[in-house]
Amino acid sequence: MSQIALRGVGLTRRYGGFTALRGVDLSVPAGEIRGLIGPNGAGKSTLIDVLSGRAAHWSGQVFVGDTDVSRHSVQKRRRSGLARSFQRTSIFPSLTVRHQLELAAQSGADVDEVLLQLNLDAMQQVYAAELSYGDQRRLDLALALIGRPRVLLLDEPAAGLTVQESLTLARLLRDLVKNWGITVLIVEHDMEVVFSICDRITVLNLGELLVEGTADEVRTSPKVISAYLGRSAA
Amino acid sequence: MTTTRLRGPHAGPWGPIPAAAFLALLSGLVGIGLPFVITAPTAMTLMTQGTINAILATSVGYLIRQSGFVSFGQASFFGLGAYVTALLIKSAALPFAVAVLLGVLLPTLFGFLISLVIVRVSGVAFSMLTLAVAQVFYEIVVKWRDLAGGDDGLSVTLPATFIGIPSSVFQTPTTMFAICWITLTLILFLMYCLSRSRFGMLCSAIRDNEERARFIGYGTLLPRAVIFAISSASGAIGGVLFCLYNGFVSPDILHWTMSGAALVMAIVGGAEFVVGPALGALVYLGVKDALGNITEHWQAIVGIALIIVTVGWPTGIAGLFNTLWKRVRAARPA
Amino acid sequence: MITQILNGLVYGGLLYILSVGLVLIFGLRRVVNFAHGSLFMIGAYIGYSVTARAGFLPGLVSAVVVMAAFGVLLDVGVFRPLQRHDPLLTVLVTFGILMVLEDVARSVWGKDYITVAVPAGLDGNASLFGVAFPIYRLMVIALSLLTVSVLAIWLKRSAIGLYVRASSADPLVTAMQGVNTDRVSAMVVAIGAGLAGMSGVIAAPLMALSPSMGSYILVDCFIVVVVGGLGSFVGAFVAAMFIGQIHNFGIVYLPWAASSIPFVIMIAVLIWRPTGLSGKAAT
Repeated sequence: MSQIALRGVGLTRRYGGFTALRGVDLSVPAGEIRGLIGPNGAGKSTLIDVLSGRAAHWSGQVFVGDTDVSRHSVQKRRRSGLARSFQRTSIFPSLTVRHQLELAAQSGADVDEVLLQLNLDAMQQVYAAELSYGDQRRLDLALALIGRPRVLLLDEPAAGLTVQESLTLARLLRDLVKNWGITVLIVEHDMEVVFSICDRITVLNLGELLVEGTADEVRTSPKVISAYLGRSAA
Repeated sequence: MTTTRLRGPHAGPWGPIPAAAFLALLSGLVGIGLPFVITAPTAMTLMTQGTINAILATSVGYLIRQSGFVSFGQASFFGLGAYVTALLIKSAALPFAVAVLLGVLLPTLFGFLISLVIVRVSGVAFSMLTLAVAQVFYEIVVKWRDLAGGDDGLSVTLPATFIGIPSSVFQTPTTMFAICWITLTLILFLMYCLSRSRFGMLCSAIRDNEERARFIGYGTLLPRAVIFAISSASGAIGGVLFCLYNGFVSPDILHWTMSGAALVMAIVGGAEFVVGPALGALVYLGVKDALGNITEHWQAIVGIALIIVTVGWPTGIAGLFNTLWKRVRAARPA
Repeated sequence: MITQILNGLVYGGLLYILSVGLVLIFGLRRVVNFAHGSLFMIGAYIGYSVTARAGFLPGLVSAVVVMAAFGVLLDVGVFRPLQRHDPLLTVLVTFGILMVLEDVARSVWGKDYITVAVPAGLDGNASLFGVAFPIYRLMVIALSLLTVSVLAIWLKRSAIGLYVRASSADPLVTAMQGVNTDRVSAMVVAIGAGLAGMSGVIAAPLMALSPSMGSYILVDCFIVVVVGGLGSFVGAFVAAMFIGQIHNFGIVYLPWAASSIPFVIMIAVLIWRPTGLSGKAAT
């Protein structure tokens, strides 16, 4: 039984002459919350897309535990325990909150707990189309969390949320995944969120791995600073 | 999230399944009773044709409702159902009942197989392809004179009995109306039950957001193909009934204009509701009959009606009733 | 054999000119114009009527101008307002327009087939590769090649061409660049509609006029566009040439199955590549 829950080897993605990822290696131990940051265009979302099976035209390998999921379809990866949320809210507007979570749950038991943990139980009979933006973000997250996946990929879960909402979400997430032993890879622009919940942080720049380390190591790394400052003029 | 109301049932006023079963029973009784009330044979003939068209419209509307796909070719299955039945009866190679069964099963199988290919394309490309499929079928039947009689069509004499019942029941307006109406009721009831099942929920989810459906662990090809097969089956049933009633089949029932008319019936009736398309079919035929004597521009009128409903009142006639019903209930004292 | 191939080029060329309009409209507005075949049909009828009174060239020009104007109306009245909605709404509305236009054609010109003569001066045969081949058909081939070239140059060199290409790739970002989307779209849709009208006039001597001729060719056009990959000009060209040849060989060698062959090809291509030959993702 591997101690590494999520592993990417030599991940490369090229499309239309543009190389979004260059041979990125990634290794996330079981139970860790790993942040994924980098300036715009660094390839963070692409990496999530490649890991989750959403991207085409990529090379390399992806492992969930000891299982090589590189050739697996999206739905097969999910069943192997790899789930993800979306930066642009992706839910089922014409289903009620409860119904879509029941659909996502392979067994019924989980649903009540997830509803409670993500503060959605009060609106479980509401049609998703009628939820507020913040509630929809949490529903997007809930759809990924249900069934307690082994690995959770989060693509900017705090997108569009206020500072307060973001921090609340971050803390909620942290408690939940630590309780459930889920390994997390989270892409975020909001540094407060990243530094407050992540155990370690991977920094990408221009499709390549730049630096990997704890929050302090990353914050003070000269390479990271110059990458962000250098790009901020663009 | 799109702003359309074209597809996706939110919730109708229809309650859960027992209530629907009760309504279905009531409807069945209407089917049996109506011929005693309306005695004019032309009216009965019109109603029977209307009901057969309603079954076709329902098949189109079901596809839209459960999968979000708009097909311009469901009449192909209607036509196939009719032709397969006609040809099998003519050949006398198989018992009557088997011919009828195959008239339903073969188009359904074909629909399922072809859907495995065409549901993979985007919604709009799908619509384009269904038009192409419909046209190709039409051409094949028209050109294959030896087999299917070409433009002239095929006439069919029904065998004397259908599992013991005299087959004249199929060609007498009063009895055939009851048969068709009850069939329509059954189809609508089964579709309704299916849409409230877990499978129905999955299909709604896939229709809403195919990508996320995969990301929560479901394959999307097979459910869509099953919905398409059910739609084809419904169309085929309509076609079989058409063949039995008219004793005659011709290529125009395969023409894309037939599919187009069924599509309009479904949209104007309100595809979002199970009964919407059937309602649309009955209204369509009623209005056509009424206006047919006044104007030759029926096609233009239909086109304009489609445009108006699409942009002005997407939930259609059934949606209109639904809205009124909700207002009435809201106005009632608690 | 050579005649077969040349005839295939004729039909393929016609299909391509018609399909270009569809691709242009799709690339810009992300909608499929189900009334496109009707534009072809009305253009053919207008060309016929004007030619009868004033000659072929005025007939051609008036058809193109009228259809282009109609294209502007379509863009302003239908495509633009429905821009933000489900593309299927536009499909349904244009389908409604198709029904209305067919009715109009039937009312104005009658439902019987009308045969149109090849314009004087273009009748007669030329000798090509040892066979006699109608000059008119050669002109059609030449015109389609001209369209390909002009289109290619226009797309690559002009500002609007750049816009069309950019918009086909990413409509949202392009709109954000500050280009007056609506005005350019109206122009491009007008061009697409004008091309449809032109192909109608040109096709008239080759096929009989009837109110349903638009739907007939629309089907092949759809097959071309879907097989080529929705939104791709190159894909449409390859597919059109291919379908043109298949169509013709079919008619000669397997008449009962001729119309089914493009369909079978289409199914085969889609099994192999659901996004069409060019592999571009449709929404």
